[in-house]
Amino acid sequence: MNPQNFQDSHTSPSHTLNCRMAFEPAALERLCQVVRIRGFRVARMAVESVGDQLDIQLTLEGIRPIGMLKSQLEKLHTVAEVTLSREPAGFGERVTLASG
Amino acid sequence: MNGAEHILDAFHRYSIDTVFGYPGGCIMPLYDALVDDATVEHVLCRHEQGCALAADGYARASGRLGVCIATSGPGATNLITGVANAHRDSIPMLVITGQVPSGLIGTDAFQETDVLGMTLGIVKHSYLVADASEIPKVMDEAVQLAQSGRPGPVWIDIPKDVLLQEATANSVADFIRRSPQKTDVSDLVSMIRAAHRPLLYSGGGISLAGAEDSFRGFAQASGLPAVVTLKGIGNAGKHNPHNLGMLGMHGSLAANRAVDECDLLVVIGARLDDRATGKLDGFAPNARLIHIDADAAEINKLRNADLSVRGDLTNVLEALTAAMEAQPLAIEDWQKTCRDWHTTGGFPAADNEEPLSPITGPAFIRQLSRIAADDTVIACDVGQHQMWVAQHYEFDHPRHHLTSGGLGTMGYGLPAAIGAQFADRRSTVINVTGDGSFMMNAQELATIRRYRLPLKIIVMDNQCLGMVRQQQELFYGNRESQINLDDNPDFVAMARAFDIPALHIERTDQIRRGIQTILAFDGPMLLHVSIARDDNVWPIVKPGASNRDMIDESQRTKTPKKEQVA
Repeated sequence: MNPQNFQDSHTSPSHTLNCRMAFEPAALERLCQVVRIRGFRVARMAVESVGDQLDIQLTLEGIRPIGMLKSQLEKLHTVAEVTLSREPAGFGERVTLASG
Repeated sequence: MNGAEHILDAFHRYSIDTVFGYPGGCIMPLYDALVDDATVEHVLCRHEQGCALAADGYARASGRLGVCIATSGPGATNLITGVANAHRDSIPMLVITGQVPSGLIGTDAFQETDVLGMTLGIVKHSYLVADASEIPKVMDEAVQLAQSGRPGPVWIDIPKDVLLQEATANSVADFIRRSPQKTDVSDLVSMIRAAHRPLLYSGGGISLAGAEDSFRGFAQASGLPAVVTLKGIGNAGKHNPHNLGMLGMHGSLAANRAVDECDLLVVIGARLDDRATGKLDGFAPNARLIHIDADAAEINKLRNADLSVRGDLTNVLEALTAAMEAQPLAIEDWQKTCRDWHTTGGFPAADNEEPLSPITGPAFIRQLSRIAADDTVIACDVGQHQMWVAQHYEFDHPRHHLTSGGLGTMGYGLPAAIGAQFADRRSTVINVTGDGSFMMNAQELATIRRYRLPLKIIVMDNQCLGMVRQQQELFYGNRESQINLDDNPDFVAMARAFDIPALHIERTDQIRRGIQTILAFDGPMLLHVSIARDDNVWPIVKPGASNRDMIDESQRTKTPKKEQVA
């Protein structure tokens, strides 16, 4: 599972990812910066503000494990929730949460 | 109370008594408030990069939050390298910058830069404050966020008008503090017991989690042979008989061989960095992997773990220690094999008995390690000297070894040493640097003079960028390109210009006396050490190659003719 560079979008797997995050300055830039540096390309993006939150649906292309991107996005302080339309098979074996 | 005063109020709430900064236009309201504040010591560095790196060194040496302050525009951009350095090594840091007044943001105003935008990739989080009433809450959240979980820098950018704005505080952040829960480590214990050749692999996460004692308890109770990353040096202490030292690109043959042959790797507080693992396909090819880390995103990032735990390291290590003490492991043969490897494949003895011979880097560092007290803090720069320190200096605690691991920032050492000296004015702090690195933040000699810091500086001068020269020799057909520094200034005279006494040595028989002299001197002192230009750091793994393919000095073949390129 070595990280690899971008591939042509025609050959890269496509993933749909939903994200809810705080509507703060640079929120979308913060999200997109992580998506880009972790090796994915935004093919489609839909954003809706709900009160002080943003609901974002992303269609992404990239050959790296999408679970890796999900865990990086979950680290962002203002991200409340990230869900994948389909959890990738085989990503992440047992993870025990020791404590906060 | 205005916005600036709310910042100082938060400093008081969190017992922040030392900050590193440099004033300028848009941060002036905060500097004005500092005039009347007797509890916060502001350390004026001579460049904003020095401020950020000093805050980093302060945080690493003390375990407390490092704080740096600068103005907008160039003040903020000059901080960036230091903040990136802290981000890559997960150092808790609070960064406060002034911004142009709110109404001028986006107008290309004087000293305006989009700080929030340009720093997104190097911070744990960042804020652009729109109203002074938000400051108490933002400060609370930032201080706690920087130090919680996997630590990191948090940047607060505040427009000048907001710093001047009078405001009452909104409610402070309600940060949830979770108490440690008891961890079920039975699966971990079972996997460790089932292994025949288990190996402990630890990194900087041990000290970041404050888990040094718990780690040593586990290492001792388990008796696991152990390797460390660059940032994990010191985790095992000086006297652990099973410690094989640093692995990786400049690790020992013994450490890399143990990783290659182990059947279980217990990774704790480490992220499997490429400088440590070499080519991933060839890394620990026969091993199952346990990964214990504070950051869930590190688990399965580069190599899938067979079993992993995310969370409080102290909690996990104490549970593992109890299990090991209840029933010790039976791995005597594996321990002996590793000890034998360490005897024959540790870092080669570097002492040179010929008194008039030129000084070699390893020989000097070994002498320094023998002479300096166990609690001495060594702040390195980046390059060959950094690796010689990692290989040959015996550290008793990870907080005694300050090094720029992830970013590899030349110029780190001097300001980091300044920060460490402010963390404990009575400690012995030595900046071990190279001639290239020293010149990158040499302006901070003025900071040493201003605050009469007693820190010591050792410049290992080979008149070139040694690590680059070495890789050009080994991997680029010995074609030297832009590494020559033989027009360096007179470092002794340079130090004296800042009222810092200095000595020069160049022969092996001068090493001991030189080190003893600077350590005995009551005040700052610089030791200029001339070393051979062509010495290399051995062993070395070619970037991108497997750690199994180490190159040592016996394989050195020098191309007779060097091609000097422009």
